[in-house]
Amino acid sequence: MIERFDLFFPYVGALTVLSPMVLLAILGMMPLFGVRLSERFIANAIQTSVSVGWICSLLILASMWSLGIFKAPLLVGSWVSIPTEHFHLEIKFIFDRLSLPFLILSYTLCGVIGAFASRYLHRDEGYYRFFLFYAIFFLGMVLSTLAGTIETLFLGWELVGLSSALLVAFFHYRKNPVRNGLRVWAIYRISDGAFLLAALAMHHLTGEGDFEVLMGAAPWPAGAVSCSEWQAFGVGLLLLVAAAGKSALVPFSGWLPRAMEGPTPSSAVFYGALSVHLGVYMLLRVSPLLDQSVSLRIAVLFIGGATVIFSAIAGSVQTDIKSVLAFASLTQVSIIVIEIGIGLRYLALCHIIGHVTLRTLQLLRAPSVLKDYQAVENAIGNQNASTSKRTLFQLRWEDWFYRFAMERGMFDVVMDEYIVSPFLKLFSWCDRIERGWLRFLSNDPLEKQNANVPSPSRFEPEEFPNAEEVPL
Amino acid sequence: MLNHHGTMKCALNEVQGFKMTDDHLESLRRTIYDAAELLPSQGPITAFAFLNPLQGMQSLPFDQAMRSVKRVYGAEPYLSESRYFAKLQRGRISLAELEAVLREDLGSESNRRVAGLCELVELRLSLLGHAIHCGVDRELDWLIAESRTLSRFREDVTDSTRKSMLQSTECWLKEANSQSHYALQSVMNGRTIIPTSQTELESVCLRLIWEIIRGEVGNVYRGEKPTPDIRHRDLLRKACNIDCDPWVHEILVRFCSAFLDQGQAQWTLPKRDQGFFQAFSAMFRQKSFFTRKWERGLAKELDRISSAGMTPLESIAESLSLLGVQTEETFDYITASLLALRGFAGMIWQTEVRPDRVAIASPPGSLVEFLAIRLILDRIALSCGASDLLKEAGSLATLRQHLVSMIDWCPEVSQEQQAYIMFQLAQILGWGPDRLARLSTEDWRELSCELSRFSSHERRRIFHLAYERRVIQQSLDAISIRARDPATGPTRPKLQVVCCIDAREESFRRHLEEMDDDIETYGIAGFFGVPMYYRGAGDVHFASLAPIVIRPKHWIAEEVVFSFEDSSRSRARARYMIGSTSRRLHAGTRGTIGGAVVSTFLGPLATAPLLSRILFPRLTGSLQRRAQQFVAPPAVTRLHLDRSAEQEPGSTDEGLGFSVQEMAKMAEQSLRDIGLVATFARLVVFMGHGTSCINNPHESSYHCGACSGSPGGPNARALAAMLNDLRVRRILHEKGIAIPDDTYFLGALHNTATEQITFYDLELLPSSQIAGLKWAREKFQRTAERNAHERCRRFESAPLSISPEVALLHVQGRAEDLAQTRPEYGNSTNALCFVGRRKRIRGLFLDRRSFLMSYDPTRDDSETTILRRILSAVVPVCEGISSLYTFSALDSSSWGAGTKLPHNITSLLGVMDGAASDLRTGVPWQGIDIHEPIRLLFVIETYPEKLLSIVRSNPVIARIFENQWAHFATLDPESATLHRYLNGDFVEYRSSIANLPVAGSSRECYSEHREHLPFTRIIKS
Repeated sequence: MIERFDLFFPYVGALTVLSPMVLLAILGMMPLFGVRLSERFIANAIQTSVSVGWICSLLILASMWSLGIFKAPLLVGSWVSIPTEHFHLEIKFIFDRLSLPFLILSYTLCGVIGAFASRYLHRDEGYYRFFLFYAIFFLGMVLSTLAGTIETLFLGWELVGLSSALLVAFFHYRKNPVRNGLRVWAIYRISDGAFLLAALAMHHLTGEGDFEVLMGAAPWPAGAVSCSEWQAFGVGLLLLVAAAGKSALVPFSGWLPRAMEGPTPSSAVFYGALSVHLGVYMLLRVSPLLDQSVSLRIAVLFIGGATVIFSAIAGSVQTDIKSVLAFASLTQVSIIVIEIGIGLRYLALCHIIGHVTLRTLQLLRAPSVLKDYQAVENAIGNQNASTSKRTLFQLRWEDWFYRFAMERGMFDVVMDEYIVSPFLKLFSWCDRIERGWLRFLSNDPLEKQNANVPSPSRFEPEEFPNAEEVPL
Repeated sequence: MLNHHGTMKCALNEVQGFKMTDDHLESLRRTIYDAAELLPSQGPITAFAFLNPLQGMQSLPFDQAMRSVKRVYGAEPYLSESRYFAKLQRGRISLAELEAVLREDLGSESNRRVAGLCELVELRLSLLGHAIHCGVDRELDWLIAESRTLSRFREDVTDSTRKSMLQSTECWLKEANSQSHYALQSVMNGRTIIPTSQTELESVCLRLIWEIIRGEVGNVYRGEKPTPDIRHRDLLRKACNIDCDPWVHEILVRFCSAFLDQGQAQWTLPKRDQGFFQAFSAMFRQKSFFTRKWERGLAKELDRISSAGMTPLESIAESLSLLGVQTEETFDYITASLLALRGFAGMIWQTEVRPDRVAIASPPGSLVEFLAIRLILDRIALSCGASDLLKEAGSLATLRQHLVSMIDWCPEVSQEQQAYIMFQLAQILGWGPDRLARLSTEDWRELSCELSRFSSHERRRIFHLAYERRVIQQSLDAISIRARDPATGPTRPKLQVVCCIDAREESFRRHLEEMDDDIETYGIAGFFGVPMYYRGAGDVHFASLAPIVIRPKHWIAEEVVFSFEDSSRSRARARYMIGSTSRRLHAGTRGTIGGAVVSTFLGPLATAPLLSRILFPRLTGSLQRRAQQFVAPPAVTRLHLDRSAEQEPGSTDEGLGFSVQEMAKMAEQSLRDIGLVATFARLVVFMGHGTSCINNPHESSYHCGACSGSPGGPNARALAAMLNDLRVRRILHEKGIAIPDDTYFLGALHNTATEQITFYDLELLPSSQIAGLKWAREKFQRTAERNAHERCRRFESAPLSISPEVALLHVQGRAEDLAQTRPEYGNSTNALCFVGRRKRIRGLFLDRRSFLMSYDPTRDDSETTILRRILSAVVPVCEGISSLYTFSALDSSSWGAGTKLPHNITSLLGVMDGAASDLRTGVPWQGIDIHEPIRLLFVIETYPEKLLSIVRSNPVIARIFENQWAHFATLDPESATLHRYLNGDFVEYRSSIANLPVAGSSRECYSEHREHLPFTRIIKS
């Protein structure tokens, strides 16, 4: 039986990875040849791709379960190998007790969201663009879920980040989405920076990016870390920063409510559900590191705890449904982080799965909140929810705490005023110095005139593009 | 900053020295309330109000209002020229229509010759009928230098024009005197050889034209500089590209939604009950560790204001004086400041003046307090944003002059742009260099002046008139031709159906009548003349079921019948348990520990509804409904209609209902309004309408507009119950309306999304009526299918080949679909409102484009009392609906709600775009993408002088009528003559066609089409 599994697994396993790739290739390449894809074609392509991947991953799960296999790696080959420099670049996918449930979850939700969005965005001028980003996201999700090496994980991680930022800025003719998209992108860059450093450190320590080498060949959640406590702490801390950025943990929480700019389905699946759990998922993947280092464990618990407190306070004053759900999501994500910190890995996995589906449903139904509220009110009479004040802050600090919550913990303010602004100042100072220097060298009076060209844009973009009408 | 604080103190001393009198403050308050009239009039989204978004401007003539919307609202008054031009190319607007409109508009001026070159009308028509390109100066430079503009004629220049231009150029070149012309010298570079080849000649000709025009336009045209903006912020943005509004709005949006919140947040705004000003002040006076740079002076400023004990109004007066706002510009400045965040300002205003429409109202004076805070924030933001400039300008009061002088005010159309337009015009109209060279400076001045007069705004205005013209003509033609034929209708109808005037019911009524000649239909405003606050059997709150302009004076509740009381009580208990569990679960998922437990253990269960709702919407919907049946209030209910005459109406048990006299009065009025006072059928159905859809914050906008965005079923039910009441019938009999004993009235609700029809109080139906009802039900079922089929032609996701049975399933599926943004199109196709006898236009395919109100002029008195009453409701209601659709379509970003996709429900009152934005009012794009933005045409069956007398006595109608916010025409009650109100007078309308297209059935009229269709006569073969 096991032999048979080995025989068919490479094909089925490859299909799960290939189907989103093919989808992206089709959606991405066709318009390059001038083909205008119809709504129906796009919807069908997505349905097919998701169904194939979904069935394959279920098949793998069923066969692994029945045969008692806990781990099945899929090697796509070693792409770069420089033995003298101890450098390898391997692409490898792992199917195990951690990745398979998350993979099936990703497939299910991407399928549901695909079906939802194909009707929700009907006739929108950005229909194709949305599904192109969706395909990028979908592929990124599958790659990072199955990643067996840190390089593969990084590839998927980047695709997810790119598509998320683009989707936040989906309505690019308004200023806020673009501004917030940029903010998401900037935070992701910080987390990517930490991630890359972690990858480098890992290569330095083990000579390879393979998680198996770092955490032993035993199937997840077991694992024996081969490095010392402080090495584990170093790598782990970098990965924790990366995860915190991706999962909007303190102090990076500011971006999550701001990400609710795209069409409702993208908010639902990406920031409410899958994307925001990706950081946590990565923590789970490297969780054996926590066993090696108590300090790392404390750091994880600290970040998780801080986020729980923050999001619970901030969430309670939000007045728009999407922010309410964003902070509710954040609360659960941080509880999952705490669970990981404590070492309850299976619980964390179950929690992720349950939370992702629940939150997706809630976010998709966000426009129903008026009706739901009315229905509950009709059933139980006046809710008086609005008059139930928090007694905790009712004393003299109420105003202060309320403002803290309303300003979302001031994280954005701190970032803007104390990090971004000095940063910009420094660089514009450098720019001025350089210009002055150039002027001095070239002795060109024109430089001076051009140095401060004001660029007020006279032509503001039309806020809402003229949509095609039904021809008459 | 320091400097500025110094000046601020200075100014403050001045202000304190200047004692503000109560009169001064009172007039300031009045100014603010006047400005508030311009705010969006939409209240809570759950009771969607269809009002003209430009209501505050209705005292101005339409054209004049349109000229000022850009300045006041920053909104587009019409569609863009390119969109109108696309309509011209598609044939939706024709050149003949454009010409006719131009001639009407210009009157005697149309044949005046401009600079001896052409007639004015020709000039204007050429500007409209050709794709005149006009880019920014740099683009034009590029076009001239790099493209073939100066070497080839435009492609739309006719051959004959081309030939004659080339010929005359050649002649002109040969003439001796031309050689000295400056243009020639620059083009020919001193050469004297006449070009031989045609292409070379063409290029020379074009370059000559360009050189001449550019030179002359440079001499005579200067361009008008635009008037500077009034707000500091706009000037600052233009001068330095610094925008303070996003800073201020980031705070205001969050604070306003917390202030308005109806129960979304768990933690309410502290000190909310002390009002906007106090609550804001208390919160932002708190010392915070980190603040935004611009915000640093805020706490201090608020401290100062509160320690000085200023009222909000005084603070506004002070802010205005610190900002250097002169008395005469106060209104404009306040308007601009309010409109900068118009959605929230409007909602605060609405919840303040209509506290009956929300659960938690805003206290009186909230708008003033909002403005006070807004101006303080503006000042603080400006003093940071313009901190460098303030050193030069001195203070905020003088900042504006400084900014105005900094900005390079370019005219709307630059010299080069006008020259380029004229250059294209010269080619189209065949003005060769010879003719142009002969023009005097006076001629050039005239030509340039004419071009400036016909600005982009004017061109769009004419386009719009031409766009409206076809619909008006089609409607008037159809009605006048149909009205020539004798009025048709059953003499002894078997069934009478009274529907709402809604344009959606047009097709419903048409299909009913088409199915059986013995069915007669009527139209009445959807609240059936019974304004009331209504509470359903399972509801806690009363909702207003009356047009938004009427405040009901009576309360009606639906009650479960006595015999079901036990079951009702246990079901209510079950509902209570389910409701509180679900509330706890929902709150739990948002909490911490509860959330963890719920999401870990119950979360995976969410997969079931998630998958089934999205993949099998209709099945899930019906399962869910069936499950809900078990706990819903028992089906047998009664309206609590009867009130003893001694009791005052009120929402308590004793106060519920109407007295018999009131009932009789309302019933009589309703019957007389629609002219149903004799020949009653055995069964008369009053059919209110509502909708059902899920996951749609704009659901209320699909309900009945005459019931403030709620379903109108209860009103229909109430009227039917009243008319079945023998006491009422007795009184009616005394008043001359004899209802036969065997006539029975039935209330019903038409679901305009699913086409389902629900009858009320069937258990009271006399057994003699059962056969009739069965017959009627069968007809309604067929009608539902046909109506669904006709609606499906508008939905791109329904194939055109769909059958009526499948169409019905399709529309039902839409209503159950979580992802459906267009459960129906509402009144989106409206264009016309007919007030008159149905039988005069029965059998006319009006394509769901007409509001239909029944009115029988032969039963009205000489004072037209009935028409007066009808129009006082119908004109503002229909005009409001039509205007909201039209303006939402004209500029979706200003008056519409934009696209639904990123909508985010805020404070349970409205929607924002995405994470944070102003509240978006109006109809979303998904509701207007098939709408033709035109003004509504009223056709009223009466005599012009009678209509005029009604208009004179009713100021609301007069504003709409005289200021042309809608078009009006009358249909002669005794002949087929139509009079159209044009330029202050009724003119007899002559139809442009002799006969209407004829079809055998409605389906024949519309099959295989998705677009708007011409009106057709249906004659059954």
